[in-house]
Parts: sequence; structure tokens; C-alpha cells
Amino acid sequence: MNKDLEKVRNIGISAHIDSGKTTLTERILYYTQRIHAIHEVRGKDGVGATMDSMELEKERGITIQSAATYCSWKDIDINIIDTPGHVDFTVEVERALRVLDGAVLILCSVGGVQSQSITVDRQMTRYNVPRIAFINKCDRTGANPERVVGQLRDKLNLNAVMIQLPIGLESELEGMVDLVTMKAIYFDGDQGDELRYEEIPEHLKDDAEEKREELLDAVSMFSEELMEAMLEEEDIPEELIHAAIRKGTLDLELAPVMIGSAYKNKGVQPLLDAVEAYLPCPTDVENIALDLDKDEEENTVSNDSNDPLVALAFKLEDGRYGQLTYVRTYQGVLKKGETIFNTRTGKKVKVGRLVRMHANEMEEIEEAGAGDIVGLFGVDCASGDTFCDSKINWSMSSMHVPAPVISLAITPKDNKAQDNMSKALNRFGKEDPTFKTFVDHETSETIISGMGELHLEVYIERMKREYNAEVEVGAPRVAYREAITQQAEFNYTHKKQTGGSGQFGRVAGYMEPLEEEEYEFVDEIVGGVIPREYIPSCDKGFQASMEKGLLIGAPITGVRCLINDGSYHAVDSSDMAFQQAAKGAFKEGYKKAGPVIMEPIMKVAVEGPSEFQGAIMGSLNQRRGMIVGTSEEGNYTVVEADMPLSEMFGYSTTLRSLTQGKAEFTMEFSTYKQVPKSVSEELIKEYEESKKNG
Amino acid sequence: MGYEPLVKKNPLRVLNLAGNNKKMGLIMARAGVGKTALLVQIALDSILRGKRVVHISIGENLEKTKLWYDDILEIILQECSVAKPHELIDMVQRHRMIMSFKESAFNRARLEERLNDLILQDIFKPDCVVIDGFDFTTMDHKDLEDINSLMESLRLQTWFSATSHREDDRVSPSGVPAPCHELDDLFETVVLLKSDQENVQLEIIRHNSDACSGDTYHLSLDPATMMVKKDD
Repeated sequence: MNKDLEKVRNIGISAHIDSGKTTLTERILYYTQRIHAIHEVRGKDGVGATMDSMELEKERGITIQSAATYCSWKDIDINIIDTPGHVDFTVEVERALRVLDGAVLILCSVGGVQSQSITVDRQMTRYNVPRIAFINKCDRTGANPERVVGQLRDKLNLNAVMIQLPIGLESELEGMVDLVTMKAIYFDGDQGDELRYEEIPEHLKDDAEEKREELLDAVSMFSEELMEAMLEEEDIPEELIHAAIRKGTLDLELAPVMIGSAYKNKGVQPLLDAVEAYLPCPTDVENIALDLDKDEEENTVSNDSNDPLVALAFKLEDGRYGQLTYVRTYQGVLKKGETIFNTRTGKKVKVGRLVRMHANEMEEIEEAGAGDIVGLFGVDCASGDTFCDSKINWSMSSMHVPAPVISLAITPKDNKAQDNMSKALNRFGKEDPTFKTFVDHETSETIISGMGELHLEVYIERMKREYNAEVEVGAPRVAYREAITQQAEFNYTHKKQTGGSGQFGRVAGYMEPLEEEEYEFVDEIVGGVIPREYIPSCDKGFQASMEKGLLIGAPITGVRCLINDGSYHAVDSSDMAFQQAAKGAFKEGYKKAGPVIMEPIMKVAVEGPSEFQGAIMGSLNQRRGMIVGTSEEGNYTVVEADMPLSEMFGYSTTLRSLTQGKAEFTMEFSTYKQVPKSVSEELIKEYEESKKNG
Repeated sequence: MGYEPLVKKNPLRVLNLAGNNKKMGLIMARAGVGKTALLVQIALDSILRGKRVVHISIGENLEKTKLWYDDILEIILQECSVAKPHELIDMVQRHRMIMSFKESAFNRARLEERLNDLILQDIFKPDCVVIDGFDFTTMDHKDLEDINSLMESLRLQTWFSATSHREDDRVSPSGVPAPCHELDDLFETVVLLKSDQENVQLEIIRHNSDACSGDTYHLSLDPATMMVKKDD
């Protein structure tokens, strides 16, 4: 095993749907000799690309799960995390980004930067992931890499600089000019395995010189030596340029742009060289862990294999041999047969099998050092858990997990499906923190909730395919919430004397809106007017009340409950009595506290030809949207709007018919906002009717 | 609405420039002095008085333009306490629409089409339009007259920004520098921004279509916020 961390690259490949991510990954695996034949995504041979391991993905031609795969290029070990390309699965993307050190952003030379790429890029910026861009599909009609570079600058605010120049475009794509070495590269052989380096073709010489100047200008600010060399008009050594590009990339100040066509086997090997040359190794990146024994004190992980182990489980998968857990080690060594412990649960587990993953195949290994990404078998955990050895108790900083915004009721079709369904739900809940499931006590229905319609659809499909659980699906429902808008006092006495032991408790205080947090309980009882042992009962009573609001039965969030008075009875007071008193008090206060209904608001971006801009805006406006703005570039427009999720059902159909199928949209959860009065009245009416009927 | 105190340091308010008339105004400065910031102030001044503003950003993207507003609002909120900052931010968002255009994608016909899209479909009815990054070098008197009549017919107050250059010393009789030296009669108000060591100096060189001079038409602004430097 290669222990030299400078020779390790943990990279992600991330892109818009259909920009050819899977094809590129497939080519990388081929050239690094991990696979011996190339399969296409929508292959005629029925095998499908190696990375898309789930059947569903094969059918739809999209990649959902991020499988980690290992390969080596020259003397470099590369772990590739294949990240999903659809916005509904952003948690998958974000979790993958967490364990990456660098990334390759793939763009289609025709489609360019689409809203999906913007979302993914924003996430990369959030996790400080250095990236290089690869403009793929340069063989397609309409390919225009320079336009894409312009978009990288304008739309993503990246300091994008081309380090290659295409030789021919569209069907005439022959190869490329490397602007650092000033050589033309051609790809010979059936699969483009043989690289041929030549002089730059005559007609491209001037262009190449000019582009090289641009490149040098852009990167010289990252290297004083390079700047000096340029001023003195010396011959500039290649290493100096490479070093400057690397420095700029690692500082997130520069995004080198490569070009090619994975499908036509062009440009993949130089891309691998660039991964080696410009993307960070594990020691270039600072990762923070929280020391749970020292009040979450921040520690930088050392990347040293001699230090105590810290490893993060970032992905679970159900394989043929049980649960497969993908982990990244940040320091220390993960050894087969050793005992490690899960810092979230405190449980000890033994490392049974340790494997290096290559999508569907795996290679048994004995140990994995710092910076590595490997698979573990037979370890029970949830994704996002941290493993340590017994010496330390650290947790990798918690990941940003958004709350679900949409839910569906599902009913199994038969008994067999019932069992399988619960197995599947259990698994999905562990794999994906944004996928939640619970049973509605009133209707006894199983409810699943997640980040969007497609998100839930994919899980329903997986249930059917992987777990053989056919379910009937109810209409999607928006996850409304309730909140209060003003302070209100309560003073409630719970009293019951109907034979047997009585119940008595009085709770007084006030409630008020709380921003940021969901719930807070403040105890300001003095003089024991409510005995100590019943204080937690009050807290419990309040919390129970928060589960179901009085307006439409949605959960209440953002309330601080403060109690400052009360009374008790020596015989009749009990835990139960105070819980009931708190519930009564909450009800009393809630009505006076200006309760409102909150709905999830989505950030929506619709892209399409400019001629449809008016129609697009009109359609968003009709759906209670607030249009934030538009941006126009040539004949292409993006309209951005904040939309209530409840109004977005069926929008894709509307949009399609409105724009002859030429526009597409993405959406992402943004925030919760109060619903307008008319809608609120409607919702309350509906809720009351459903209560009457059911 | 109770947001009035927030704009008391707004230069427009101090100079009493933000009238209700539907005429065109112009802000000129060299690159980097603060034209965009001042345009955003003009927009905010209108918004806080309950008007609706379309911000047209040529050559700058949507995200960056939004940031201008967020930053300046944040400063305002830091200086003055507002009971419900969320409501204020929400109100600003509802009263503002940003349209960003790539330089090559902007022209008068498109502007008219976009504004009509908004107004006729009842999506957004603006009272004021600020146009940032408009290229005056390729504009002749006739073109601008066209835009002027469009804005007048839509009953919109319009503010432009224009960049002047050190190397171009042409100037109109009333003191309006190139590239707008031949267009100055179309503007009711022309404001010049200059930076000295610490402050940005604001000077009104034309108002109510008259040439102006003297202290009444002069202000010092904080370069970070483009708000009036005063202690009160």
C-alpha cells in the first residue's frame, strides 16, 4: 500500500445531469487499468457503466448513489467519489464533498454552466473544495469551450483559466494543445490509449501563444519566481508554471480548465495528470474534529498514521455481504481485526473485513492509513458517525442537514411487502439523514418525508426494486409548521376529582417566539411553588404540545416556554398532573400568542430561451412566487424566484407545455415563511373538515 | 411604515433629490468610486418609502447585485435598531426586482419588452428603475431620447450610472464629463462622485435642468456605505 500521503488524491467528480460524468469515470477506470472494457451509460451490451451500480440508475441513466472507487495513475493513488448529479439528492452530494480533498467539475461544452452546476459549485465553495474544470463533449455539435469558460467566470465567479486549447472542435476534434508544455497531444489507438506528442499545428500557433500569455498572466500572481521570470523574459520552466497553478487552485483562487471528450477518448489522461499536479493531497487540506471530552473543542486532524485513529463513515450501502460502510480515515490506521468505537453511540465494534472498493468489485486489504477511503463490512452504524480508537473521543464536525419539506403516505400492497418495506425504510433512514419516516398515530399510515418529489420517488422505486416492496403512494403533502408571533401569558390549573386519586397542578408563565432554535424551556420557579421533581414534567408537557399545533395539527417550532409560578397539592399532584397542566397552559397561551402557519419556501431557478421569459415569470407569479430577478445572456435566460413548495406540484408539466419543453427548473429548500392569510384560512378549514370526517 | 429614520443618512434624502418626478438622473464617476453603491442607496430610499424598484444590472450577475443590497441593508440595520429586521428584509425583497443582462444582451427593445412583461402581466409594477453598467460610449443623443420617452410613457423615474475616464477630458458646458458630455440636456439631475483620501465627495452639477455650484450641492460620503458622513 502506498503510505506516502503526497501520492494520494481523494477527488469527487461532480456535474450536471448528462454532462457525461459516468462516462468520464468509466474512462478513468479504464485508463488506470481498473477495468478492461468500456461500457456506455446506456450501453447496448446491457452491462452498463461500472460506477452506476444500482439498477434504477442504469435504467434512468442517472447516478444516484456516490460509490467510492479506487484506482492508481502512474504512482498516484486516486479515490474517486462519484457524486449524484440531481439537486434533490444534495445531501448525498454534500456528504461526499465532506470527505473529498478536491474535485473535478465537469461541464458540457454545449450546455455550459447550468443551474445544477451552480448549486453544486456553491456547495463546493461551502466545503472549501479546490476544483479543476473539465469541459466535456467537445465533439458535440455546437461545442464552444470558450463560452463555457466565460460562464464559469460570470456565473460561478471562478477565476477560470484554460490550460489547454482544442485542436478542432465538434466532429473535427483531434486533440489539444497543452499550454504549459506547448505541445499538441493526440490520442491514438482504438480506445485512445496511446498518446502522441507533436509540435503545435501551424494554424494554431498564434492562438496558443496568446492563450499561454493569458494563462501566465493569471497564474503569475501566485508565484513570485514566475513573475520574475516573466519580467526578465527568460524561458519559463514548466515546473514553475505547474507550481503556480497548483498554488492558485489550492487557495481556491484559480480554476484551471481542461477540455476533451470522454466519449471519444480524448483528454482523459491529461486530466488525470492535472488531478495529480493541481489537486490537493490529504495533508494540503485542513480538517477539523471536535473533541467530545472537552466540550467540542476544535482540533485539526493530523493526517499522521501514528496518531490515534479518527475515521468518518460517510456512506452506507446494502451489499451481498451485509452492510458496507464507506469510511475516510483522517489520522491513524484502520486495521483488520482491531476494535474501534463509534463516538456517537459509544459502542465498540470490531473491524471484520476491510476492502478497497471498485464499484461492484472489491479487494480485501489488511489496513488503511490516514487519508484513505475504504469500505468496512459488518459494522453497524449510521452515516455521519465518527470512529476512533479508545484513546480519543473526537467527532468530525456535524454536517449540515436540512429538515424535510415534503411527505407522502405509503401503504404496502400485501403482507410480504409490509415486512420488506420496514426493512427498506430502516436502511434508507440510516443512509440518508434527510429521509425520515414515521407512523401517523391517527391514521396509522406510514409517512415518508424528504427534500423533494424526486427524492421520495427514487426511494419508492428502490423499495420496489431492491426490497421487492410494492407500495401504494398517497398525494404528496407539504410539511407545514406552526409558529407563534408574540409573547403570551398562561396560567392554567389542572384539577380532577372524579373518584380515586385526584389530580392537581397549576402552571403559570409565558411563551414567546424564538428565532433560530426550535424550543427552549426556562425554569424561573422560586420558593418551590412547583416542586423540583415536577419541573421536568412541565417541560415534557410543553414538548408534547409542540408536536401538534392547534391550527392545522402541524408541528410547532420556535417557542420559548418560561414558567415562573404555579401551585401543587401534597397528595393530588403527580408527574401526570403537571404534564397535563403544562399542556393546558400551552393551549391557553398558544391561542393568544398569534399563531401562524409556516410553509417551506424553495429557491427555484428556471432556465430557458429568452423568448419565454415573460411566460415563465407569469407562471411563477401565478403560483404565489416572489421573483427575485432574472439574468439574460444572449438568448438564454434564468429566472430566479422564491416559491412556496405547495405551489410547485406539477410545475414541470406546466413549464413544459408553456415553453415547448425548452425550459427546465431546479429547486432547493430555502426557508420557512408565514403563509398568506387567505391560504392559511383555507388550510385551517381543510384541517377542521378532515377532523370532522375522520 | 416607520422605516423613515433608516434613510435619514441617505444622500438623496439629504439633498432632497429623490422627488416624485418621472425624469432621468445620472451618476458619474471613475471606475471603483461607488456608483453602484449609490444606485443601491437610491433604490433603497425608494423602497423604504414603499415604492417598487427594478434594478437593471448590465454585465454584473444577479448574485453579486443581490449582495450589494444585503451588505448595505446590513450596515443600515447595524446603525439603526429595527424591531423586526426580518420584515424589513422581506419588504425590500418584495419591492425590488433585479434584472441582469450580459452586455451584448441589452438593448432598448429588450428593455421595453421586459418592462412590459412585468407590468402587463401584473407581476411587478415599478415606480423607479436604476440602470447600472449602461454603456454610454455607443449611445447617441437619439438613442437616449428613445429610452427617455419609453421611461416617460411608462411613468418611471430612472437613474443611470456612467463611468468617466481619466484620459478623456471632454466636458459639457455645465461640467458633465465624457462620455455623457453631449447628452446632459436629457438628464434632470447629474451627480458627480470623486474620491479623495478618506471620503467620497458627492457633487450635484445639474439639478432641475440647471447648472449648479456651491456648498448646498456638495456632500461628503462614507466610502464603505455611500451614506452621508455626519454625526447626527
